Amino acid sequence: MDVDIPEIPSRYDAYRQGLREFIAANLPQLAFKQRSGLRAPEDPEDVAKLRRWVRSLHDAGYGADRDDPFEARISVEELDRTRVPYVLGNPLVVGAIVHFGTERQRAAYLPAIASGEHIWTQLFSEPDAGSDLTSLKTRAVLDGDCYVVSGQKVWSTWAQFSDFGYLLARIGSGTGRDGITAFILDMDSEGVTTRPLREITGTTDFNEVFLDSVRIPADNMIGEPGSGWKVAQASLAHERVTLPGEKERDLAGVLVRVARDHRRRGRPAIEDGAVRQQIGRVAARNRMERYLGHQIETRAAKGQTNEWAAPLVKIWFSEQNLEVADYALRLLGGRGALVEGEPLAYQDGYLQDAFLYARSWTIAGGSNEILRNVIGERGLELPREPRGDR
Amino acid sequence: MFASSGKGAMDFAYNDDQGLLRQVTRRFLEERHPIASVRARLEAESTFDRGVWREGAQLGWVAPLVPERYGGGSVSDQPVVDLAAVAEELGRALYPGPFLTTNVVADAVAVFGDEQQRQEFLGAIARGDCVATWGAAVDGSADAAAIGVEASPAQSDLRLDGVARFAHDAHEADLLLVSCSAPSGPTLALVPLPATGVSIRVLGGLDLTRRFCEIRFEGVHVPSRQVLGAVGAAGRAIERACCLATVLQAAEAVGAAERVFEITVQYAKDRRQFGRAIGGFQAIKHRLADLLIELEGARAASWYAALAVADDRPDRDEAVAVAGSAVRDAFAFIAGESVQIHGGIGFTWEHDAHLFMRRAKVDQLLFGDPEWHREQLCCLVEAEASA
Repeated sequence: MDVDIPEIPSRYDAYRQGLREFIAANLPQLAFKQRSGLRAPEDPEDVAKLRRWVRSLHDAGYGADRDDPFEARISVEELDRTRVPYVLGNPLVVGAIVHFGTERQRAAYLPAIASGEHIWTQLFSEPDAGSDLTSLKTRAVLDGDCYVVSGQKVWSTWAQFSDFGYLLARIGSGTGRDGITAFILDMDSEGVTTRPLREITGTTDFNEVFLDSVRIPADNMIGEPGSGWKVAQASLAHERVTLPGEKERDLAGVLVRVARDHRRRGRPAIEDGAVRQQIGRVAARNRMERYLGHQIETRAAKGQTNEWAAPLVKIWFSEQNLEVADYALRLLGGRGALVEGEPLAYQDGYLQDAFLYARSWTIAGGSNEILRNVIGERGLELPREPRGDR
Repeated sequence: MFASSGKGAMDFAYNDDQGLLRQVTRRFLEERHPIASVRARLEAESTFDRGVWREGAQLGWVAPLVPERYGGGSVSDQPVVDLAAVAEELGRALYPGPFLTTNVVADAVAVFGDEQQRQEFLGAIARGDCVATWGAAVDGSADAAAIGVEASPAQSDLRLDGVARFAHDAHEADLLLVSCSAPSGPTLALVPLPATGVSIRVLGGLDLTRRFCEIRFEGVHVPSRQVLGAVGAAGRAIERACCLATVLQAAEAVGAAERVFEITVQYAKDRRQFGRAIGGFQAIKHRLADLLIELEGARAASWYAALAVADDRPDRDEAVAVAGSAVRDAFAFIAGESVQIHGGIGFTWEHDAHLFMRRAKVDQLLFGDPEWHREQLCCLVEAEASA
């Protein structure tokens, strides 16, 4: 048994130093605040700055996609600290193109994603197909060398700024998984309308996307006709594991800092036994999330992945994240009620935003209720839910 | 290889030999000590079968922490991980014997004992001839502050007076390791049983599968050659014993939790109400998903704690505190919900569910309750946040 995460050798110090200097000299000044979660800017000028930022990182050899794993680790560590996005939109399509795409698709799209030239959005969910994705109604009909696609998509992160969409649509008149097919959609195509959605956070990170007889070249299909479910499962599994972000988040450390900065009954909250118990609980679950990651990585290396691993980690992370944000607000006392823009707010309302946004993690990527069905049915082989529509 | 790949060895699993040790232990227990054998002794004075213990010792239950020159040996270079693998199987079978304490005593003697003590006890322990227990404190913890036995110097020897409680199978044991307080500090003494002035009473306990004892000491004479290490200097040895105990208890708990979970999932598939298997109802399906989530988290925590103690990793104390709090809570949650999901049949004496629930509750109370370990974790996190 071994879990060895090697120290970064000292010969990489120069790389880190160079990146730090690069960040100090080039980090864009943005109008929008980087809050918790996958957030979108509100100003198109910010988007242009971010594209230039990702491009400059890539050109200077500091991008998060470095082949050298130590360089990649250093880049992620240093870039995370800036709280400025360096992966734009939702590039989950990378996994789909790598595993199911054609040579032409790989060459045309993968480098442009890495360099920030192309921003992607995901076009999966629909108003009547959220957690039950197999109910999707968007149709694709072959007409010459194009598919003509009509339907409505929702919850598409960054769609208002995206160049391409990773789309699921149905070919033929089947139901369930039948006919679901993955496409690459050029968002500038005629018939694509994007309408931003304002969420409970007050910000606009997601969109509705309307597709009205949009023509998609047939060679923009990813995989085979009807193989979209398989293609999507691969990237969704990836999403469920990686949603929290690559870096480890020390949630217990967050609570320690809040508890030191605030008082209860005239004493620092950190001296309150009940608070200490909660910090201990959060620390334990946070460490266990890391240990679970080691287990999943080990099983994956041996080809022993199981269907419940990704949903399990997503539930674990998202529910802990919600619990911590909720508890942090309580620790703040009355100050917990103050938000961004209010001068008395703690850390400019970051935790209040995290509290609201936490509900995104428990719902997105398959709501935790659906994921519990997945664990029960695919993992434990319990009887499936009856359907009301067949 | 590390330098070029940048990824270290990630092999967070039992190795093949440890897997084999588990398999052999599982088959042995299924044959020689199934839960039915445990049930047969639920109300007996003793739940311990010495014959089974000796055969278990042949399989390697108590050899890993005993150096080879004394007749022990490990199937890996991580004996604590070997023992965690065995402990999971013992937990699955609700094995009643003092596996944990015998290994804790073996480790204490191997690490802190002198040559004469090692010669005298280690070989016998590894062979299964010497069953050992630990009288750690009066309250189920292993805290030095809760030691209830006074050690008064009597020339170069010691005289013990007081009480230790929750010593596993002390009434069956051949050797007692006792934590005591000398004027110069905490001390560990080895007392072969029976001994003059030592009286042992089996405590009426919630866990019907195991027996815990109260040990009274009245003027017990302990010659200096039976003191482990120096008088007053056993703080580090006690801390080490407590870490090992927490790791082994966590591994037993994971095995037991896994077994009761399997039993419960099967019941949810078999039991039909309203014309359907009850596992098809989301109220049950989602509960079982939650139990699996907690079981897998507990398994990961138990494995990591075993690894951290085996390799003395820098985050050892943190890993032990995670296991000490979260694993026992997970077992208690899983076992309790198992009774609930079984419904009426789960409330009957004949069903095994309550045996797991009883053991899980008692596990929460020994070697530091979950609250104690969470406080430890909070201290560690605070120190980290200051660094």
